[in-house]
Amino acid sequence: MGRLKPKGKAGAARAYITRTAAVRKLQCSLADFRRLCILKGIFPREPRHRKRANKGSSAPTSFYYAKDIAYLAHEPVLRKLREHKAFAKKLARALGRGEWSSAKSLEDNKPVYQLDHIIKERYPTFVDAVRDIDDALCMIFLFASLPSDAKVSASLVENCARLAAEWQLYIVHTRSLRKAFLSIKGVYYQAEVLDQTVTWLVPYQFTQNIPTDVDVRVMLTFLELYQTLLGFVFFKLYADVGLVYPPPLDAKKDEGGAGVGAFTLQEVTSSLEGGSAPKSSLNGSNVKRASTKDVRQSIKAINASSTGDDTDMPDVDFAPAEVEEEFVPQASTSNPQETASLPTLQTLSSIPQSSTTKLFAPYTFWLSRETSRSIFEFLVRSFGGRIGWPVTSGSGSPFDESDESITHVIIDRPLVIREGETDEERERRQRRKYVQPQWIVDCINAGRILLEEPYAQGKTLPPHLSPFEDRVDAYDPTAELKVDDAAMEEDEEEEENEVEGESASEDEESAQPEKAALKAVSLAEDSAALRAAELEAEAAGVDPGVFEKELKKAKKAKVVETGKEVDAEEDMNKMMMSNKQRKLYERMKHGERKRAAERQVLETRKRSIEKEKKRRGKAAT
Amino acid sequence: MVVKELKKKRKVVEDEEDVLETYFPQNVGLELGSEDESGGEESEGEVDEFPELDPRSDSDEDGHAEEEDEGESEEDEEDEEDESEDNASEDISDDELRIFPKAKTVISDITGQPKRVYPPIEPDYDSDSSTEETPNRVGNIPMHWYDDLPHVGYDINGKKVLRPARGDELDKFLETVDDPNSWTTAFDKKAQSDKPLTSEELDLIRRLQENENPDAQYDPYEPTVEWFTGKGKEEIMPLSSAPEPKRRWVPSKWEKQKVMKIVRAIRQGRILPNKPKTTSDKPQFYAIWNEEPSTHPAPLPAPKPRLPTHAESYNPPEEYLPTEEEKKKWEETDKEDRERDYLPQKYSSLRLVPAYDQFIQQRFSRQLDLYLAPRIQRTKLQIDPNSLIPKLPSPSSLKPFPVYKSLSLAHEKRVRSISVSPDGGWVVSGDEGGVVSLWEVTVGKEVKRWKLTGKIGAIEWSPRIDVSFFVVGIEDHLHFMVPPNLPSNVLVATLDLLTPATLPPQPAHPSPVKWTSISAAAFAPEKPILTVELPPSSGVPKQITWHRRGDYLATVSGGEGQGGVWIHQLSRRHSQAPFKKIKGTVQLVLFHPTKPHFFVSTQRYVRMYNLAEQKLLKTLQPGIKWISSMDIHPLGDHLIVGGYDRKLCWFDLELSDKPYKILRYHSRAIRSLHFHPTYPLFASSSDDGSIQIFHSRVYNDLMTDPLIVPLKILRGHQIKEGLGVLQVKWVPRQPWLISAGADGNVATWFS
Repeated sequence: MGRLKPKGKAGAARAYITRTAAVRKLQCSLADFRRLCILKGIFPREPRHRKRANKGSSAPTSFYYAKDIAYLAHEPVLRKLREHKAFAKKLARALGRGEWSSAKSLEDNKPVYQLDHIIKERYPTFVDAVRDIDDALCMIFLFASLPSDAKVSASLVENCARLAAEWQLYIVHTRSLRKAFLSIKGVYYQAEVLDQTVTWLVPYQFTQNIPTDVDVRVMLTFLELYQTLLGFVFFKLYADVGLVYPPPLDAKKDEGGAGVGAFTLQEVTSSLEGGSAPKSSLNGSNVKRASTKDVRQSIKAINASSTGDDTDMPDVDFAPAEVEEEFVPQASTSNPQETASLPTLQTLSSIPQSSTTKLFAPYTFWLSRETSRSIFEFLVRSFGGRIGWPVTSGSGSPFDESDESITHVIIDRPLVIREGETDEERERRQRRKYVQPQWIVDCINAGRILLEEPYAQGKTLPPHLSPFEDRVDAYDPTAELKVDDAAMEEDEEEEENEVEGESASEDEESAQPEKAALKAVSLAEDSAALRAAELEAEAAGVDPGVFEKELKKAKKAKVVETGKEVDAEEDMNKMMMSNKQRKLYERMKHGERKRAAERQVLETRKRSIEKEKKRRGKAAT
Repeated sequence: MVVKELKKKRKVVEDEEDVLETYFPQNVGLELGSEDESGGEESEGEVDEFPELDPRSDSDEDGHAEEEDEGESEEDEEDEEDESEDNASEDISDDELRIFPKAKTVISDITGQPKRVYPPIEPDYDSDSSTEETPNRVGNIPMHWYDDLPHVGYDINGKKVLRPARGDELDKFLETVDDPNSWTTAFDKKAQSDKPLTSEELDLIRRLQENENPDAQYDPYEPTVEWFTGKGKEEIMPLSSAPEPKRRWVPSKWEKQKVMKIVRAIRQGRILPNKPKTTSDKPQFYAIWNEEPSTHPAPLPAPKPRLPTHAESYNPPEEYLPTEEEKKKWEETDKEDRERDYLPQKYSSLRLVPAYDQFIQQRFSRQLDLYLAPRIQRTKLQIDPNSLIPKLPSPSSLKPFPVYKSLSLAHEKRVRSISVSPDGGWVVSGDEGGVVSLWEVTVGKEVKRWKLTGKIGAIEWSPRIDVSFFVVGIEDHLHFMVPPNLPSNVLVATLDLLTPATLPPQPAHPSPVKWTSISAAAFAPEKPILTVELPPSSGVPKQITWHRRGDYLATVSGGEGQGGVWIHQLSRRHSQAPFKKIKGTVQLVLFHPTKPHFFVSTQRYVRMYNLAEQKLLKTLQPGIKWISSMDIHPLGDHLIVGGYDRKLCWFDLELSDKPYKILRYHSRAIRSLHFHPTYPLFASSSDDGSIQIFHSRVYNDLMTDPLIVPLKILRGHQIKEGLGVLQVKWVPRQPWLISAGADGNVATWFS
């Protein structure tokens, strides 16, 4: 027998540490500890045995891994936090004494921590970081829309808005948006970046106020981390597609409310050449082109710019053209087939997004002023469409309302009869298609251009469905209730039959042999007996249709019976399950039953709604 | 003496003051009173000692003290004059001043030796206080040294000071009552008696009690005396006449060098006068992921929030909209308990969609989840729940087993026990009213009925085929009954066995169990042929079980505390209690079918004894709170134990003390278990009124686990007063089952 181990020296008692103990060990305040936990991504753990981890006490506490806390002890941020504490004291003393100059110099040399190493630590590879930016994006987009106040500084909001715009620019540029969903909470977007699906939620454009029951400090700490993370992620993303990060901001446009359009994307090469002006990137990229097609396109582009329409447009609109023709496969002399089949990065990346990402490419949209520009500009442009908007929605529209190329008008107003319309206007109106905003999102989710007709101005919209619902046994609102319809029909028929039966009861005697024959059908078990029953029925003069129906019924009844038997057997076999298995089984069954019940509720509700509609329709006719 | 010294000090201070006054003669007239001055001048002659500065000095008292002092010093001078004439009036303490008084030499009365006698000291004001009172001169010694002696010390003349008489406690008490001043007295050790405290001492005590300064003279609020500060007291003369050093006005060379160093550095740009702030407004981003990632595994990514469903759409299908009740229910439930954090709503167009009021709260709660919630990694099970159900052979392939109830026989009271004859043709059933009925299995016809007095606890047919009788256990008695209409040879053998012509010899140690039988000639089927009288108040025998040879039978009685287990031997007509003492109450006993083993079940454990070697082999731990029934497989390697807590445990005796399988399928307590002697079947009956039939195949090779397949649940007995089916027994050569219920019915179940 080995040495007796003293209690609390090994195992869970050593592996876990309570929060209070951790704070005491790190010699920092609870607020600092929280901040560290947020920044370092340390979260409490649930020990398998709480009592063993807490030295026999079962008091409700949260546990951390002792090793996590041990690593925290060497954290440079912790040191900076301590320095900051000292600084705060010094500053308070200087202010209390009225030593303004020393307070100022203290303030100038305030200790500030860097989070770079934490980013690298938490996300060792770039893909890890991209996988985890969902929450960061949600927060950035939220804070970009918040009003600045004492707690949320203006520079913070501005930075968030900048990051949000950079992300949208990147998504538009790479055409990586996949799905969008207009929910009651806001707009969900899903993009595919580096094979990772990134989903983020953007609130509708209203002024939000931070409620009192929300701890802003926690949110700001998260935001600190997220800003740094997104900065590094965007840097890498921009660098990977050959763009300069951060994209330069046109202050004039920004003041004019251009939003995303205030940023210009700049190619790294062009900036190296020295052309730092936003337009020079266009020229720079044109220089590289060699084929005649490119030349033609560039001429077209120059022409377009000379007309003055495109001058304000950021480069994003031209980016797809660049992406298309960069790699020209050169047939090798030795083995031409090999190179022809050689997949390039270009071809690979263009395979899945070939059709859907250029969904709106042939169309030009005009946003009506009551629709949210930030949402639809982003959606349309990330699927290749051109979009313009009235000046009331902000400056920077590439064209105005009278532009001939406009094919669709996104409008969210009830239909009113316009008076005093000129012929030209009417003609223009008839040439354009007026759709409600949901059409854009539904087209994106469907992956094809839907019929505009159900979405036309003033029409009652079809339901907007979530593109994220992917559970197999979930209720599908688009599916027709075929089976149930059949059942309902049958029910109706049966009702009719019953009526018939009642009438038939009068001449019961004549029908008796028929009935006997039908009974024989229901009792028939094997095929031979069935055949005999059929013959008998024929002899009795039963209608073949009735016979078939009876046969079906009998079969169904039999199936039910055998099913019951099987069920009884399974029930008995359940006795032989171990306790653990039985519990697992019960849990799974419970879940299944719950889902089925939900489905059932939705289906019955749909049926009743449809019935109501039918009745109303009948009443109307 | 102390007081005097203090006064002296005061005098010194006074003198000091005078010195100062002489030092600053110009301000004397302004500040100090004229009387002080005169006093000072008077005592001027004495000032020749070190002018000590006493912080306690105060001008107010000085005058008063001085006056006293004045008188005293005069007296002193007088004393000095006296000294030459009269030594007796000398103060001892001032020995530098005074000569010791002269002693007379007298012949001592006691020793006869000459001794010096000093004149008594006059209790002067000036005299030593230590000589005043105490006649006892023992000095400062522990007084307990005199505890055993009649005296407490010696006076100055060497005479014993006798211990003053001290009364007992009662006297003390009376003294305290009589003397009103007794509470201000204290015990004086030297005198060994109570001495009243002086008023000064009492005052001192009071002061100490009240946390005051013990010195009554002390005045904490003396006015300050400004000695050095104030107008006219400034120091105008320099303390030193040294010339002022140069460094006071020449600028430092070294300082200049240091400053110049910094100035040069600033000029050269090595030190920036206005360093750029450490807080750069924009964080610098760089390619952080360009270098090789560390080998550390990446921390687990946070779980992604659930994606929105159709219900969250601004324009969902109509069936998703909640009804009024659902809305109300949603609003009434707590925020944390809600299944969805929103109510589905439908807007006819996008421009009507308002801001979501819970947006920031939900973001915040997500963040709280991220950093406050413990995360557990769970593997998601992607299995069909039905695959968890064990695949067992279909019951239809395991026929025959009892399927339906064919017959039933009604008793008036609840039937506790039944037994089937070894040839499988007959059943005896005994109810609580004392009625025993014998009937045929196949027909269900009652052939004979006995009426006994008292409850029938157990009934058991003898396993022997050459004889035919059964044992009925009622209150304290076992009755051996012989069924009617037996073939003559069987009847003769039975009678011969039960009432032999020559009784076997009485054993050496007569047991408390009595065997009485009627003679073969007086035999009538109505009466028990043999009766075993158990010790009185042993209660109803709960169980009777036969050894397979039919010579031994064991009974368990409920009443007695000693377990109540008896093993009776028929051939010797002798009964013995196998256990002197047994832990717990014995519930059941069982003979092993092949080996000389004996199972004893208490409430929680089953013990297995070897009867031949008389030792405990095993203790089985079924983990049942209260064992109700037990049976052993006919091959003898497997045991099933049922409990009132609905559990059934299957033990493989070769394998372990713990059950091989625990089944829990009855909804109420298990009452009875029975293995079929020949078919691979066993049955269990329960208080839920059902009987469960199992297929139980046991393999001979040790590697294969026994196969247990539930076959059929037989229902048909009524539950009466919480009791269902009390006993089940198999018919030996048929797959038929007999069951006895609390409703008084005995049923046969045929396959």
